[in-house]
Amino acid sequence: MPWEKREGRGRYYTRTRRVDGRRVREYIGGGVPGEIAAFSDEHKRRVREETAAHLRERREELEALAAPVACLEEAAEILAHATLVAAGYHRHRGNWRLYRDA
Amino acid sequence: MTLDLPEKTKDELRELRELSRQAEDGDLEARVKLQRRVKAASPEIVAEASNLAALSETPMVKFVSAGDALMREALPKRLALMRAEIAGENPTPLEILLSERIVSCWLLVQVVEALAAQQIYSRYKKEKTTLFSLSFQRYVLKWQESASSRYLAAIKDLARVRKLQTNTSSVQVNTQINVIRP
Repeated sequence: MPWEKREGRGRYYTRTRRVDGRRVREYIGGGVPGEIAAFSDEHKRRVREETAAHLRERREELEALAAPVACLEEAAEILAHATLVAAGYHRHRGNWRLYRDA
Repeated sequence: MTLDLPEKTKDELRELRELSRQAEDGDLEARVKLQRRVKAASPEIVAEASNLAALSETPMVKFVSAGDALMREALPKRLALMRAEIAGENPTPLEILLSERIVSCWLLVQVVEALAAQQIYSRYKKEKTTLFSLSFQRYVLKWQESASSRYLAAIKDLARVRKLQTNTSSVQVNTQINVIRP
């Protein structure tokens, strides 16, 4: 919890951050400085969450739009491949070649 | 809801893939069967895939036009022109499908470009500067590369099929395909 209670001294606002992988707790203090820091942190957290939600929505939207295109691509690839094989072609080292008996 | 091909079409595609694999392994019986299946299944696969392309076009056009009424009106017409121009005169069902694929891939490139532009614009306008996150930019860049290479691969496939089909008139199938446009 960012707010800590100390015996006889009221509330302290603390901020935890990571330094070289370790969690370091910074003591901001009580009163107005504590309230300002708490408000600022809360605002930053809210913006971060809104941004993450917005970007997640954009990703989902893009992936939903691209999914039918992927289906179409797969269908086209399979049918093109099948048509060429049915016509007597085969792949040889990445190139299409006609079977001699075709 | 994600748009998808009907199960019956998917089954036919799976069967074609399996027969192609067997025929490529030298199974002559599979090749004869494949010839019959391609002839029988092509019109339905092309019709279903074209319907899917048509249904997926509307949300993509809406995304790219981003509220611009003129763009929203003009883009489908441009896509129809592209489709007709790429397929050419008297296209085979396969050419129709490959043309649909090229047009859809082109539209996907436009969608990703629009998304990238939106991010840059939001940064420029300083409305939501935090939306311009580096990880999201990397994500968009990856999509841009993928969409471009898929578009180029689609063009290459149609060119290859056209080149090879000129030697093999036996795979030409004359069929009327009714595509439902939304």
